[in-house]
Amino acid sequence: MLVYEIMPGEKRIIAGVYHLSKVLGRHFALKDINFQLANGEFVFLVGASGAGKSTLLRMMYMDDIPDSGQVIMGAYVSTRIKRSDIPRLRRKIGIVFQDFRLIGDRTVFENVALAMKVAGTGITEIKHEMTNILTRVGLYHKRYELPGALSGGEQQRVAIARAVANKPAVLLADEPTGNLDPMVTRGILELLFKINSGGTAVLMATHDVELVKSFGQRIIYLQDGKIAKDKEMLFRGNLRESISNSRVDHRVKKFTEHSIGEDDDGKRES
Amino acid sequence: MAGINAAKYMLGETVRMLKCGKVSNLISVIIMGFSLLVLVIFILVTLNVSMVIEKGMGEICVYVYLEDGVDNKITEEIRAELLGIESVRGVVFVSKDEALEKFREQLGKNSDILEELEANPLPDAFRIQMKPESNTSLAMEKIARTAAEWRGVDDVRYGKKWVERGEKLVKGFYMTDFALGLIVFLSVIFVISNTVRLSILSRRESVEIMKLIGATNMYIQVPFVIEGAIQGIVSSLLAMALLWGACSFAGRYLPGLGFFRFEGVVGFVVLCAFLGSIGSFVAIRKFLKR
Ligand SMILES: Nc1ncnc2c1ncn2[C@@H]1O[C@H](COP(=O)(O)OP(=O)(O)OP(=O)(O)O)[C@@H](O)[C@H]1O
Ligand SMILES: [Mg+2]
Repeated sequence: MLVYEIMPGEKRIIAGVYHLSKVLGRHFALKDINFQLANGEFVFLVGASGAGKSTLLRMMYMDDIPDSGQVIMGAYVSTRIKRSDIPRLRRKIGIVFQDFRLIGDRTVFENVALAMKVAGTGITEIKHEMTNILTRVGLYHKRYELPGALSGGEQQRVAIARAVANKPAVLLADEPTGNLDPMVTRGILELLFKINSGGTAVLMATHDVELVKSFGQRIIYLQDGKIAKDKEMLFRGNLRESISNSRVDHRVKKFTEHSIGEDDDGKRES
Repeated sequence: MAGINAAKYMLGETVRMLKCGKVSNLISVIIMGFSLLVLVIFILVTLNVSMVIEKGMGEICVYVYLEDGVDNKITEEIRAELLGIESVRGVVFVSKDEALEKFREQLGKNSDILEELEANPLPDAFRIQMKPESNTSLAMEKIARTAAEWRGVDDVRYGKKWVERGEKLVKGFYMTDFALGLIVFLSVIFVISNTVRLSILSRRESVEIMKLIGATNMYIQVPFVIEGAIQGIVSSLLAMALLWGACSFAGRYLPGLGFFRFEGVVGFVVLCAFLGSIGSFVAIRKFLKR
């Protein structure tokens, strides 16, 4: 199920980066970056240390804004997004880091539940979903442990569980296996594939080219802040066409579970 | 539903913060409690001193001495005139006999010398009590000038020097007190805001994570604000308790030392709750804006 085997018509663009440039310090950390992410896609973002992977991901979860160009995540556009909309966006995407970023004084259960609570989910529903989520990452039996009592691989599983707890349309992972040994790395990758097969698009940054090549997924090579190669280039024309049509963006808003639509919590609840 | 979940979450988080941060909360509350103690000691000393001053100033009276052998009618006229003056609160007639008796008492065992007297040399007099708000040397001076002209009045006296000196002293006291109070107040604010900042800084990591998983500022702030209010309440109660202990101890050596009234204590605690939550709000706000 490689991306370019899917008919262009079936694809919906859920995230796009257009002519994005960013200066950090005195250098371009990113220069004229263009790519799009379709629903259900799995993409590796590969580049050496300092290539700009983390910077690019930060623009995508809108922790920082581009100096020029724009990022579109579902219905949210970096050039127009309001401060108060950023939390809404974050609840519709999942983020995973190299250093896990779990809260040390909360149990596995509480760490994952927090993401759902923050999204306004009630405790009954959280408990109900949690069995599912924690079983999926294979940590149900350790739900009452604190992160400190877990191995690195297990901690990363918790972080991934937290990232997907709200059924995000996109999962952004910044070197999720950077701190893990090869065996554990494989397990984490398999978990990410599993999540991807459930419909969540995954963009995973890594510097490990060899690891990534063996899977046959789309790979975006980042070099000195520029895209050096992108397998998806093959049918770039089609995608361009579909995304430049602004109506597509509006349709993107509407789709169901796996979309980064505008926050409709309030409307649905009332 | 979402609102209820949010409220539940915020309360849960607050309870959690209080439970998990027991030690750091205790330290914060102790630091705040002691700096508030300095503030309440200051306020209490000021109140007590100003009470003593008020009392002292209240004891300063104007005496209107009558001519010897003035008849009742004129005496009553003078009384009525005096009561008609704006700044006068009350007038007490002190007969020459009463005055002598008082003098005798004051002399104590030396009162024998009075036996030598053939007649009472003291005059009848009116003692004037001023209204507290017009208890000034200026008002007294005015009464003295006016009354001295009246028929039947021999002389008007008041402790002119004392009143003037006292007034200067009081003015100096209040000015120094105000300046000191401002310094104490600002230091307390400084200490407390730093304590709050530190406690937020110690939780900066979890705040960062909260932001990454999409917590709104509201979700992050509210527990801190409630915690700030609770810290304000507990630390002000601590300060009041310590002060009360110190007061009942010092009261043995300083009889008449007054403590705050109940309303005062409640007002102070409420104010501290308010300041605590505002302080937390400002600190977390700054941190979130970065
Ligand atoms: N705050 C900053 N100030 C100045 N320069 C920065 C800043 N953050 C990043 N950079 C620079 O931007 C470039 C891209 O950094 P980035 O962290 O995105 O790289 P990366 O691909 O994630 O690297 P790594 O694999 O080491 O995580 C680097 O040259 C880095 O030095
Ligand atoms: Mg990086």
